[in-house]
Amino acid sequence: MRSLKNHLSLIIPLFAILFAAEFYFVIEKILKNYEVYLSRDYSIVVVSQKSLTLEELKAYEPSILKIEELDSERIIERLKKSGIELNYSELKNFMPKFYKIYLESFPDEESLRKIKGTLLEIEGISRVETFTKTHEKIFHFLSFLKNISKFFLLIIFVTSVMLVFKQIEIWNLEHSERMYIMALFGAPLWMRTAILVKLSVIDTFISTLLVYFAYLYLLNSNYLKNLLGTEEIIVTSEDIFSDSFWLFILGLTISLFNVFIVSMREPKQPV
Amino acid sequence: MNSKNVIVVKDLLLSYKKGVPIIRDTSFTVKSGSFVFITGPSGSGKSTLLKSFYGELKPQAGFLQIGGVSLNDIKPAKLAFLRKYLGIIFQDYKLIKEWTVKKNVMLPLLIAGYSKEVCEAQTKKLLKHVRLTGKEDYYPLELSGGEQQRVAMARALAHNPVIILADEPTGNLDEYSSRVIWSLLESANEQLGTTIVVVTHSIPTNLKVPFKHHYIEDGRVYEIA
Repeated sequence: MRSLKNHLSLIIPLFAILFAAEFYFVIEKILKNYEVYLSRDYSIVVVSQKSLTLEELKAYEPSILKIEELDSERIIERLKKSGIELNYSELKNFMPKFYKIYLESFPDEESLRKIKGTLLEIEGISRVETFTKTHEKIFHFLSFLKNISKFFLLIIFVTSVMLVFKQIEIWNLEHSERMYIMALFGAPLWMRTAILVKLSVIDTFISTLLVYFAYLYLLNSNYLKNLLGTEEIIVTSEDIFSDSFWLFILGLTISLFNVFIVSMREPKQPV
Repeated sequence: MNSKNVIVVKDLLLSYKKGVPIIRDTSFTVKSGSFVFITGPSGSGKSTLLKSFYGELKPQAGFLQIGGVSLNDIKPAKLAFLRKYLGIIFQDYKLIKEWTVKKNVMLPLLIAGYSKEVCEAQTKKLLKHVRLTGKEDYYPLELSGGEQQRVAMARALAHNPVIILADEPTGNLDEYSSRVIWSLLESANEQLGTTIVVVTHSIPTNLKVPFKHHYIEDGRVYEIA
C-alpha cells in the first residue's frame, strides 16, 4: 500500500506534466490541420481587365496553388436575377474577367494583406476580395487556445517538477540507509542511485502509458468531434503514439535530472 | 615518512562541533600488516577516531593519511576509491535489510566490478568460512545478531581489503560468534597480511597474533607497550 502511494506520488505529477505537454502538441497539430482544411475551402476573388495565367501569378506570389476563371455568363445571370436594370448585352463586352485564386495554405492576417497588395500591383488587376472575416475569427480563437495552452503548460510544468523533486527527495530518504552503506564501501554515484533511477524509469513509463490512453480516449470521443465540427482536423492515434516516445523522453529527463540533483548531496548516516 | 605506515596520524584534531574537540593533539602510525587495538572508556572518542579513518569525519586540524591518501581535504570520488581498499565492520552490522545475505556479502565485489561468477564463488567461500552455508537467501532480519555480524565480517573480507576497520565487532555477540569473528580477523592478518584496526572496550585474552595497543583518554591517544 505504501509502495503504491509512493509510486502514485511520482506518477501523478509526471502525468500532469506529460498531459499538459501532449495538450500543447495536440493543439499545435489541430491548428496545423485546420489551416490545411481552411485553405482547401478558401479562395480569393480577383477582378482583372486581362487574362491571367497560373504561371504569371506564381511569378509574383509563389503561395498560389491554382486559379479558376469564373464564367461571365453566370455572373450576368446572377445580376439579372437580382433585378438591377442594365444593358446586359453591352455590359458583356466591357465586363472584366473574374478569377478564383486558391492558396497552398491558409494565411494569417499579415500574409493575406501582403498577398492582396502583391496581386493589386499586377497589371490589369483592379480589385481583390479576400473574404476572410469568418475564417479568421476561428483562426484567432485557435491561436488564443494555443497561447493559453502554452501558459497552462508552463504553470503545470513548474508545479509538477517541484512535486517530482519532493517525491524523489522522499525516496532518497527512504533509501538513504542503503545508499549510505553502499557509499561506505566505495560505491559510485550511479550504483547508489540505481534504485531511484529504476523507480523513475518505471513511473515515467506508467505515466506515459496513462497519457497515451487518456488522449486515445479523448480523441475517439464524440464530444471532441462535435466540438471541432469536423473529423478531418483531429489528430490520429498514430500521432499520439509517436508523441508518446517524446513524452517518455521528456518525463525521464525531468525525473532523472531530479534524481541527479537530490543524489549529489554527500551521503550521511541516516538518523 | 615510512612507506610501510598504512595509517599516519599527526597532531589530529577531531570534533563534531567547533570548539568541542573529541580527539586532540594525537599522533601515531600503524604499520602495514599489524594488528592494532584502540581501547578506552565509553565516550572517549574511539569510534570517532575510527570514523575519521574511513572518511566519515574530516580532520579539523592536523594530518591524517590512510594508505598514502590524505583524508584532510579528500574529494568524494577519491574517498570512494579509497574505500574500495577498506573493509569496515560496525557494532550495529550495517547490513542492507532489503538484500539477501548473499547480496550483502557481494556488495564490495560488485562495487569492485567483479564478474557474477567470481562474486558467487567468493561469496560461497566466505559464507562457509563464517559458518553460514545454507543461509545465502535469508534476509538480515531473519538472522540472529551473531549471524548478522558474521555476514558483516564476510562482507568486510570479500574484496581482500588492505585494511580492516572494526568498531566493537563483538560488542553484542554470543561467545561462538565472537570466536568466529576473532579467528577470521586473526587469519586475515596472519595469512593475507591485512592490517587490522579494532576499536573495543576489552581485548580478547586468547588472541594468537601479536598486536599493538592504543589507549584513548581525555581525547588523546597513548600507545601502550
